[in-house]
Amino acid sequence: MASKAVKTLITPLGKENPVFVQILGICSTLAVTNKLENTIVMVLGVIFTTTLSSFTFSILRKVIPARIRMMVETLIIATYVIIVDIVLKAYMPEIWQQLGPYVGLIITNCIVMGRMEAFAASNPPGLSLIDGLASGIGYGYVLLIIAFFRELLGSGTILGFSVFGDWWTNWSIMVMAPGAFFVLAIFIWVVKGRMEE
Amino acid sequence: MKQVSFFSERIKPVIIMAVITIICISLVSGIHLSTQELVIANEGLVLKKAVLYAAGVEIPSGNAEVNELYEERVEEQMDESGDVYIVYGEGGSTGGEIEAYAFIAPGPGLWGEIEMLAAFMPDLKTFAGIDFIKQNETPGLGARITEAWFKEQLRGKQPPLVMNPEGTESSASTEIDAITGASRTSDFVLSIFNEAGLRAAELEKEGM
Amino acid sequence: MNGELLPAAVFFGSIFTGNILLSNYLGMCSFLSVSKEIKTSTGLGAAVIFVMAVTSLLNWIVYHYLLIPLGLEYLRFIVFIVVIAAFVQLVEMIIERVSEGLYAALGIFLPLITVNCAILGVSLFMVIRDYSLVNSFFFGLGSGIGWFLAIIAMAGIRKKISGAKIPKGLEGPGITLIIAGMMALAFMGFSGMINIT
Repeated sequence: MASKAVKTLITPLGKENPVFVQILGICSTLAVTNKLENTIVMVLGVIFTTTLSSFTFSILRKVIPARIRMMVETLIIATYVIIVDIVLKAYMPEIWQQLGPYVGLIITNCIVMGRMEAFAASNPPGLSLIDGLASGIGYGYVLLIIAFFRELLGSGTILGFSVFGDWWTNWSIMVMAPGAFFVLAIFIWVVKGRMEE
Repeated sequence: MKQVSFFSERIKPVIIMAVITIICISLVSGIHLSTQELVIANEGLVLKKAVLYAAGVEIPSGNAEVNELYEERVEEQMDESGDVYIVYGEGGSTGGEIEAYAFIAPGPGLWGEIEMLAAFMPDLKTFAGIDFIKQNETPGLGARITEAWFKEQLRGKQPPLVMNPEGTESSASTEIDAITGASRTSDFVLSIFNEAGLRAAELEKEGM
Repeated sequence: MNGELLPAAVFFGSIFTGNILLSNYLGMCSFLSVSKEIKTSTGLGAAVIFVMAVTSLLNWIVYHYLLIPLGLEYLRFIVFIVVIAAFVQLVEMIIERVSEGLYAALGIFLPLITVNCAILGVSLFMVIRDYSLVNSFFFGLGSGIGWFLAIIAMAGIRKKISGAKIPKGLEGPGITLIIAGMMALAFMGFSGMINIT
C-alpha cells in the first residue's frame, strides 16, 4: 500500500508527466507564463482543483450512475474552480485581474478531468488524492520552468526583481505569444533527448 | 421488477444529480456571500487608491489608513456629466487648498474598455497624474501601461500629447514615451489621454 | 475613435491579431492531436466555428438576462459550461436525424468540442471585456474562423514535413509547437494592418 502510494506520487513527475509526455492541459496556463508571479498563483489553483476534484469524485464513485458521470465530474471541477476564483478575487484582487479568464479555464483543463476518468474512477479516495496532487505538481513545475525563462529573458526580471540590470535588452518576443511555443518546444526537446539516452 | 429498474435507470440519476448540484451550489454560494463584503471593499479601495495616486498623494500601506486619508482629502462632486473627485492638500477638504481635479476617463483598448483615472492640476491644463482602474491589454505588453514608469511620466505633461518610442525619455511637456511591442495599446491610451485633456478643458469652461 | 469598439474590428482582430489559438493558446489539446490530417482538421474546425459563434450568443443572453438580474455572476463558470454541453448535445441529436452526410462530417467532432477550452474561453473573454451582444457574436465567429485557419494551416504544414528528418526529441509535439510558434510570429504581422477603430 505504502509503495503504491509512493509510486502514484512519483510517476506523474517524470515518466508520465502530463505536460511533456502527454501534452495535456497546457491551454489554460500557458498564456499566463509570461510572468512568474501569475504562473505560481495559477499553478496553485490547478493543483488545488485536481487534488480535491479527484478526491471528491473518488468518494462518490460508487454512488454515481454511469450515465451522469461526466456531468458530475464537470460539476465537481466547476465548483472547485469557482472557489479558487472567489478566493482570489477577495484576497488577491490585483492578481485576479491579471489572470482574467484563465482561472475559469481550469475547468476545461484536460488534466483535471483526465485524472478523474483514468484514476479516481477506479481507485480509493486516499490514492486518488495523491494522484491528483502529483499530477498537479508534475504539471505545475513544467509551467514554472517555462515562466522562469520567459520572464527572465523577456523582461530581465524574476518575480519582478531586476536580475540583469540595465545592459540587458529584453527579448520582447519571449513575453509575446510565440515565446511560449518556442520555450515549451525546446523544453520537450531537452527532456525527450535525455530520456532516450 | 420493472418498477425497480425504471427507478434505477431514470429516477435515481436525476435525484443524485439534483442532490450533488444543490450541495455544490450552496457551498459556492456560501463562500461567495462570506467574501462579498471584502470584494466590494476591494473594489472601492481600487478607486480610492487610484484617485490618491493620480493626484500625487502618497498612499499609506494599510487599507483603513487609505480610507481615512481619502475621507480627509477628497471631496466627491457628483455632476450630470460625470463625477469629479476634488483632491485637497494638507488640511483636507475644510482647510486645505485644491491640489487636483480627478475624473474617470474611459476609452476603447485593444481588447476591451480601458478605464483610466485622470487627475489634473488646478489650472485644468496639466496632468497631475494618472492611474488605470480597469484594463484588459495583453499581459507583458500592453498591460505594461500599468507600470510605474509609464504612469509617472504623465505628471506635469500637457495634452494634446504625442508619443515617442520607448526609451526616448521624452522631456518636453507635450511628449511621452510609448511601449515597445504594444503600438496599438499605446495609440489607444494616447487618445484616452487627449480625450481627458478635452474633458478637463470643458470642466474649466464650466467654471471649476 | 469615438469610444466604441466596432464589430468589424473585433471580428478581424479575433481572426488575425488576437487569434485565440496562437495568442491565447486556447484549444491546444485538440489542436495538437487532430492537426495530423487535413480532412479531420477541416471537420473539427468547421464544428468549432459553428459552436463558438452560437454559444457566445447564448451565453451572452444567459449572462445578461439571467445571471446579472439574479446577482449570480459568480456561477457563470458552471452555467456557461452547462450551456455549451447542452447545446452541443442538442446539435448532435438534430444533425443525426436531419442529415447523415453532415453527421458523418461534423457529428463525430461534436463531443470533442465540449472540452475544447477555446469555446469556454470565448464566453469568458466576452464577459470580462464587456462586449455588447453584436460584438460578442462577431468575437465568437471571428475566433472560430481564426481557430479553423490555424488548424488547417498546421495540418497542411505537418503533411508537408511528414517526410522530413526531424531530431528525435522534437518528433511529434515538439516540432508542432515550433511550427505553431512560427505561425504565431507570422500572425503578429497582421497587427499593424487592422486599424478599423
